[in-house]
Order: sequence, then structure tokens, then C-alpha cells
Amino acid sequence: MMENKNYSSSRLFKLIILSLLGTISLVLFFLNFPLPFLPSYLKIDFSDVPALMASLIFSPMAGVIVVAIKNVLYLAISGAGDPIGVIANFLAGAMFVIPVSMLYHRFKGVKSVVSGLVTGTLIMAVGMSVLNYFIILPAYGKFMGWDMTEQFKWFSVYAGVLPFNIIKGIIVGLLFVPLFIKMKSWIEQKQMKAAA
Amino acid sequence: MNNSLIIGQYVPGNSLIHRLDPRTKITVIFFFVFIVFFANNVVSYSILTLFAIACIVTSRVPIRFIAKGLTPVWFLIIFTFILHLIVTKEGTVLLEILGFKIYSGGVIQGFAISMRFFLLILVTSLLTLTTTPIEITDAIEEMLHPLKKLKFPVHELALMMSISLRFIPTLMQETEKISKAQASRGVDFKTGPIKERIKAIVPLLIPLFISAFKRAEELAMAMEARGYQGGEGRTKLRELKIEKRDMLIFVLFVFVIAGLFYFRSW
Repeated sequence: MMENKNYSSSRLFKLIILSLLGTISLVLFFLNFPLPFLPSYLKIDFSDVPALMASLIFSPMAGVIVVAIKNVLYLAISGAGDPIGVIANFLAGAMFVIPVSMLYHRFKGVKSVVSGLVTGTLIMAVGMSVLNYFIILPAYGKFMGWDMTEQFKWFSVYAGVLPFNIIKGIIVGLLFVPLFIKMKSWIEQKQMKAAA
Repeated sequence: MNNSLIIGQYVPGNSLIHRLDPRTKITVIFFFVFIVFFANNVVSYSILTLFAIACIVTSRVPIRFIAKGLTPVWFLIIFTFILHLIVTKEGTVLLEILGFKIYSGGVIQGFAISMRFFLLILVTSLLTLTTTPIEITDAIEEMLHPLKKLKFPVHELALMMSISLRFIPTLMQETEKISKAQASRGVDFKTGPIKERIKAIVPLLIPLFISAFKRAEELAMAMEARGYQGGEGRTKLRELKIEKRDMLIFVLFVFVIAGLFYFRSW
């Protein structure tokens, strides 16, 4: 087979599959369902599942790229009405996907995925709480001209951001673990193909 | 399923705003979002509002589409207004309801900030109402071109974006088809305990992933068979060109900025 010096076929394949996983992610993002006991703007969706899949088959970076594509697509489709929310969603996705992928590539197997999901959920929940308290909520405050009081920030982090991200991590995990068990051999087969 | 996802919010048309180069629109909107924060009196707000209204009128996008874009933020705008009414305690007391005093400063500030938010949403949604997502992608690729020197993979990014956009309808149809196929076998996605509902999604995702890999392999092969080898020396189907009308808008917008800074109170 002719090898092109700028471009290998595996690289092109990777570009395409990550785009398609990004599209699946966007489709799942729009199929979100609000939880009965949380405010409506905090919505659970399964858009991180394709990113997890990419990060297990390829690398943590691949997972982050899928999350990024989903968010850029969302911006291009819905307009830039809420840029801060899009950036927050990207950061949350990245913080969730990277630990899962790193633990999995280090130890392999179902256990590493489960422990990765737990770690990822904690990092995402704590990370988003910190980001919300110091950056995202004040940014919204500036944007909307609200005075963000300390109380308000603590309240939204403790009653909103923290429990929401933990619940989101658990629900995505509840879906991803059985999915991973069913697709384990397929994932390993794709890994070998990607590495070859 | 959500139809707006396929084409975005785009309303087809042939108005001046539709025909503008997407780069012009993105640049103007970027600066508009930035300068809105400088408006601080009646005249400066009126200049920006006039500009926004002029854009909407020339775009000939029916009002109901614009209103639809605003629905998710109405609540926020009204909430912000009320919050300022309650919190701000400047100026003279206008009204006293149930022990709450409403000050003139609160009304003014609440109105100004709601207006700012309203203008931001109005102008940014006009971009997606008059520009297809693929045009936006092309514009982003062109505008990020200088970053190529820093080894930023601009072409790859644009390629991935256009592939993703192209496959949104296809993959949505596929999702719908698979979920209908599962439903016909008795899978229940909508009722039952949350845990069961989550489990019902697994057999929906597996075929979706497997077919995505098959599609990607086929597409990669098809592209290579046609001699695709990255962005170097590749020609384009859709060429972007800056026309007279783009220059006209730029000049007009410079006047808007100048007017804003002249009339704002320092």
C-alpha cells in the first residue's frame, strides 16, 4: 500500500471516527431527560458515553476531542447565546473522561473502568464546584449584572453543582459499565486495529 | 425527534444579511457582544437597539422565529429585571408594595441590564438564523487560518466539523430506527424505574457505535481512493469572498461603534 508522507490512513480514520462519535454525542445530548428533583437547567444526558468509548479505544485525548466536537457543534447549531455554559460543559466532560481513560489504560479490565468512573465522578464534581465558585458563577454574574453574594455561590454549589455532578456521574456510570462489559471484546479488537 | 437539530435554527432566505460573508457576520457579532457592555445611557443603548432592529428588518426573518429563539431566556431576562428592582436602592422611591420600596435607580438599572442581555441574545441568534452551520464552519476555518503557523490543525478541525454536521441527520435517523426496532421487541424507554430505563439504552448504543465504526472505515477508504491527503493544496467547493456589501456593513458598524463611544457617558 502506498504510504503518504503527510497523511496515514489510520490518522484519517481516527479523524472520521472521532467526528462521528462527536455527532452521536450531540444526538444523545439532545435526548436529555431532566431529573424530577433537580432544577430544569441541570439536565442529565448520555453525551459523555461516546467520549468514554473513544477514550478507551484510543487515548484520553481522543475522549477530550469528542467532548470538544460536541460542544463546538452545539455552538454552531444553537448560536452563541450561552458561551459560558458551553465552556463549562466541555470542562466537566474532560474532567470526567480523562481519569476513566487513564486508569483503564494503566490497569485494563472492568474493575479499572469502575474505579475510573468513581474517580472521574469525584474529580468532575469537585472540579466543577471549584470552577463554579471561583469562575463560572462570577462570570454569569458579570454577564447578567447580578451581585453574586457569597451565600448565593455557596448555596448553588452545595445544593446544585455538587449533587448534580455526582448524580450525573452515577447515572452515566450505571449505563457505561454494562455497556463496557457487553462490548469489551469488541473494544479490545478495535484497540489492536488502531495500534497496528 | 427534535427537527431543529438537523438544520439548526437556519431560516432559508435571500436577504442582504443572508448573503453576507459568514466571516463578516461573525466578526461584527463578536465586536457587538463586546461593545454592548460599554453602553451606559439612553442614547448609547438606542444606537445599539437601532442597529439590532435594522439587522433584523433587513434579514426578513419572520418575528416568530426570533421569538422562538428567545423563549429559553425570557425567564432569565425577567428574573434579572425583578432582582434589580428589589436589590438596588438608589434614587427616589417610586412605589411601595407590601413594604417593598421600588427605587427609580432599580428600574433604570434593571431595564438597562435586561436590555443588554436582550440585545446580546437577539444579535447572536440572528447569526444562526441566517447562516447555515456549514457556512459557519467554513468561516471558522478561514478565520483560524493564521493559527496554522503555530501548528494548530485548522484544516483537520474544519474537516471534522463538516463530517460531524453532515452525519447529524443520518445518525439521528439511525438512532430513531434502532429505538423503534427495540420498542417493537418490547423495550420500554419511557416508564419504569430509572435503573431499568438506563439499562434499556445499552442495546440502543451498541449498534450505534458498531455502525459508526463501519461508516468511518468506509468513508476513510472512499476519501483515500479519491486521493485525499490532508489540507495542502486542496481546492474548495464553497469559496468565501468579501463583497461590496460586506464592506458596507463594516463601515456602518464602525459608525455604530464611533457613535456609541461618542455618546456614552464617561
